[in-house]
Amino acid sequence: MGSMREIKQRINATDKTSQITKAMHMVSASKLKKAERAITNFRPLTKRLTASLARVMDSDIDISHPMFESREVEKTVYILITSDRGLAGPYNASVFKAFQAYVDKHHQSKDEFTVAALGYKAFSFAKRKKYHLLNEDVIQVRDDIQFLDFQQVSDDFIKGYLKGTYDNVVVFYNKFVNTLTQKVKYQTLLPLDKSPFITEKQEEESLKYKRMYHYEPSASSVLNQLLPMVIVNVLYGMILEAKASEHAARMTAMKSATDNAKDLIRDLKLHYNRARQDAITIELTDIIGGANAVN
Amino acid sequence: MKLTVITPSGVLYNEEVDYIVVSSKNNGDYAVLNNHAPIISTIDVGYIKMIKDTKQLFTVIINGVLEQQDNFINVIAQEAHVGLNKDSAMEHLNDVRKERLDENRQRTMDFLKAEKELKKSIKEAQASKR
Repeated sequence: MGSMREIKQRINATDKTSQITKAMHMVSASKLKKAERAITNFRPLTKRLTASLARVMDSDIDISHPMFESREVEKTVYILITSDRGLAGPYNASVFKAFQAYVDKHHQSKDEFTVAALGYKAFSFAKRKKYHLLNEDVIQVRDDIQFLDFQQVSDDFIKGYLKGTYDNVVVFYNKFVNTLTQKVKYQTLLPLDKSPFITEKQEEESLKYKRMYHYEPSASSVLNQLLPMVIVNVLYGMILEAKASEHAARMTAMKSATDNAKDLIRDLKLHYNRARQDAITIELTDIIGGANAVN
Repeated sequence: MKLTVITPSGVLYNEEVDYIVVSSKNNGDYAVLNNHAPIISTIDVGYIKMIKDTKQLFTVIINGVLEQQDNFINVIAQEAHVGLNKDSAMEHLNDVRKERLDENRQRTMDFLKAEKELKKSIKEAQASKR
């Protein structure tokens, strides 16, 4: 351990850092609450949209659509949802790690896939790794993210999928389990999974009668618009979830940083007091020695 | 009949109406009156005119689905705004969208600038060598 002054300086520095981390912890806590509220607000829309699509699927029309059909995969789009800023513990790194492992396992070259990066961290990661990027500019994942913010990307991959440029769209994101745990998950966005829109109960009912809907202007054009909406909504739901995870991760990280700083300060104070005691002892022995010499 | 408009941030509008007129770029105009047969339609950019007694309101919608059955109208919209007349409501929505995009661009620029400055000052302070 260094001199008393050095220790004092370190104590001060650590204390200031802990003040900052404590503030960040509290900010994240309130932002987490907001993010959770956003998820709750979004839920009715998802529910009704799913129900609407389920009713369409249940009616008498031919519901085959390219978005439901899986085909041989030549090119995949990976959507990475991360945060814009760091200091969120393993939040971003774990997404990259899972993604990297997945890519190493499933792909030989970088030309087999394209990355859509949501969030500054994902963008710079993809740039660093020299992956093909779907978006040229950074798409910031703001706390109050709207459809408009990532519309460019969603339009791109939906159009690309329908044209046959991309055959598969997979999303990597942090699923919010609770405040302490976030789990990296990957989920296929396209081709769309039919199963949530077909329930067994409906199958029974549909034996009795089929609902007749008027489609304005036609069934296929309704589906053509409805399905992209469903997909964008699913993606939006994931972004909201990732957002809640981000704040939770940052909250936990900042909490442990504050705790660590406190531990460190306690240790340093011990050292400081010991050094101070040493200095006093030396001074005392000097004085006593001097006094003895005079006598 | 009952009309519900839902947006990502929650329920925007939930009221009793006499009838509605739906107008959209992709499908043109049509009205839905009481006891209409079940209908599903989409709106890319358009509006819904809602009439109750003598009053009327407009909901401008971008990317939405309209579904009517048993006199319940369910509108799911990605973006919507309620106004007293369609032009001002549309204008408002467009302004908000444009502002948002400009703001996003500005934020990205500010962010990159701040990041650059941070890197520079870290280098200058030689924090890594201490």
